[in-house]
Amino acid sequence: MADSKLPISSAGKARVAIVAAGVISPLGAGLEETVRSLRAGRDCVTPVERFSTEHTRCKTAGEISDGQLERAGATRRTRRLHRVARMTIAALEEALAQVPGFAPELTIVGTTSGGMTFGEEYYRSLHGRRSLRHAPSLIANYTPQKPIMDAQEALGISAPCQVIANACASGTNAIGHAFDCIRSGRYQRILTGGYDAISELVFVGFDSLQAATPEKCRPFDRARTGMVLGEGAAFLALENYESAEARGAEILGEVIGYGISTDNHHLTQPNPSGSGARQAMQKALESAGLCASEIDYINAHGTATPFNDAAEGKAITELFGQVPVSSTKGMMGHSLGAAGAIEGVISLLALREQILPPNINFRQTDESLDLNIVGNESRSAKIRTVLSNSFGFGGTNASIILRHG
Amino acid sequence: MSLRISGMGWVTPLGSGVSAVWERLLAGDEAHAETVPSALQTLDYSAFRVPPDALATAPAHPRLRRSSAISRFAVVAGLGALADAQIKLDAASAERTAIIFAISNGGVVYTKRFYHEVVEAGAQAASPLLFPETVFNAPASHLAAILGITGASYTLVGDGAVGLLALKMAEDLMQSEALDRCLVVGAEEADWLLCDAFHRWRLLRAAPPIEVFSPRSRGIVLSEGAGAVVVDRTGPTAIEKIDAGSNFSRQSEAVARVKETFHRLRATHRDLVIASANGTFVDNAEAAAIREHCPRARVYAPKAALGEGVGSGGLWQVICAAQALRTKQLPPIPHLEKDNVLHLSGGVQHDLKVDRALVSTCGLSQQVAGLTLRQA
Repeated sequence: MADSKLPISSAGKARVAIVAAGVISPLGAGLEETVRSLRAGRDCVTPVERFSTEHTRCKTAGEISDGQLERAGATRRTRRLHRVARMTIAALEEALAQVPGFAPELTIVGTTSGGMTFGEEYYRSLHGRRSLRHAPSLIANYTPQKPIMDAQEALGISAPCQVIANACASGTNAIGHAFDCIRSGRYQRILTGGYDAISELVFVGFDSLQAATPEKCRPFDRARTGMVLGEGAAFLALENYESAEARGAEILGEVIGYGISTDNHHLTQPNPSGSGARQAMQKALESAGLCASEIDYINAHGTATPFNDAAEGKAITELFGQVPVSSTKGMMGHSLGAAGAIEGVISLLALREQILPPNINFRQTDESLDLNIVGNESRSAKIRTVLSNSFGFGGTNASIILRHG
Repeated sequence: MSLRISGMGWVTPLGSGVSAVWERLLAGDEAHAETVPSALQTLDYSAFRVPPDALATAPAHPRLRRSSAISRFAVVAGLGALADAQIKLDAASAERTAIIFAISNGGVVYTKRFYHEVVEAGAQAASPLLFPETVFNAPASHLAAILGITGASYTLVGDGAVGLLALKMAEDLMQSEALDRCLVVGAEEADWLLCDAFHRWRLLRAAPPIEVFSPRSRGIVLSEGAGAVVVDRTGPTAIEKIDAGSNFSRQSEAVARVKETFHRLRATHRDLVIASANGTFVDNAEAAAIREHCPRARVYAPKAALGEGVGSGGLWQVICAAQALRTKQLPPIPHLEKDNVLHLSGGVQHDLKVDRALVSTCGLSQQVAGLTLRQA
């Protein structure tokens, strides 16, 4: 286990406060529903309802129901928007309600496919020679950047948007880059997060790779067989710590470290040595000025695919030894570009509630990994720092470190 | 901190290489449109395609064996920019180099093929070989693998303004002393599906030419290719200011947003303006901003000759701006209307007396950004 103080100091740089958070995911709409689901270890993965799974191996996903979206707030105007835009509005609205008047200078979000189902609908209409009367609206609203632009318009925000599409690491990259921007002193306030909605194209794609499982999603289990997809949106309002403190803002936590690396081993598979994951985590530690023993909990990427969990598990074991680890994807599925943002909020809630979220569906320890898995039930614990990982296609790896406020 | 552009790479329908494409633009050449046939036997469209010989310098790397055209465009432009900057990456310098990729529609050719097979034959026909290439960051991943970059790699999605948003991100990343440079690449590949989408959005013209700053907005012709710049701490062209701009929700709001960007960039009549005018509402917005802030400024609009390159378009404009500052020459704009009130030219201009260029980008999906460059 690496336990020596790392060389790069974080001294002399601006601190970055989290002053608000909002989330919607299969675990629930809002922070409080999410906490209840985390405490209970709720399995929110259900049979897919949005499209046919007759010819796919995998039949399940973590979906947000229309009723859940309605409850999260839908005006007549937002009903015409893509569901991912409505998720984005719901999460952003929850966050902004905590900080009235928050005026971000920049919005940085992560996504992989935005309103892809509108693109699918357009293509199916073309292919089936059906009416294309709605095509202009479908085309205008399917682009990955549209949901955040819609949400900003609905909520009266005019900041420029950077939309990061780094596959499954996008959400964590967005938070990490926002952290770096404030830390450098160039920005005072940034909204950051991620969003993605389930689409047939992406579902079938992961199924074709046999990365999606026909069974339960069992991260880090010896008998794990793959991932299930999920969806949702989450946002954090980040602010220069001194500025937040000066105006008496409630500080929910701090982002204190960020690491990014690129693993060139393969377009879709990590280097089995775990070197890419390890490099991202190590850089996050360096950026935070922490040593590995100062991390109290790791919210792992943990997709439950054999290769990904093996590489991540190896890197965690080598770097951190027996730190408590869980992947929350067994409960809610993998929401791709939103995953890092949702798990960032889960990490924040873990710090607030002083709990370790559970790694559900866990049956057998994988002896080759030697991890301290928080199996099946949430646990109370004294935690001050959390590291959250996201790794994606293209070899993008990102880790952030949060600290209790 | 003053950032510089130390190298540039260019892949366009007029060929590849900064000097070669620039010479063709100065000669008044414009891209030739090809018919893009429909696989669905509906309408055919025209688009400007990158000629195969423009990719002759693409390396024989395993990552490019199955990759889509967009990745090959990006690799050729990226390697060209590094060569122009006289940078040879080794393990140590690659670690201190970041990639920022600007993209709009991504690997649309493979995405369409992948989903077409699903629609035609069902999910069981989905190809595991095609799916990974549909992911937005696949081209950046290939480029990173070829260059051996193991540090930061970001793919940004957006519209015609995304290239400038990528440069803004480079400016932010370069605050870190851990980085020596950012390779910023914008790329796009043209496909029938995109043409159809822009057609149904009432933004596409059935066939060339693109008539910029015309009183009648006749629409774009889609194009493809890549542009790459090395953002460095030394180099011949200084990035004076980047404005990450804003968004607008209705086309009628574009005028106000573009004017705001010109205001923040302190546009003057001494500037050279490289506009994103493309034969749509964008032209009206930029013309209004120019009339208000710098009515006597010289204006060039490269999309009239190169087409609408969407994700690559912003970086193409930046390359034009840097080339105009370096060479003091400006290519002609084809198909201009005679009674245009802006300072546009249908002929090549030599001995240009400008030392600052303002690049304006207004995207069709309603993002706006701008920057100013100065010859160092």
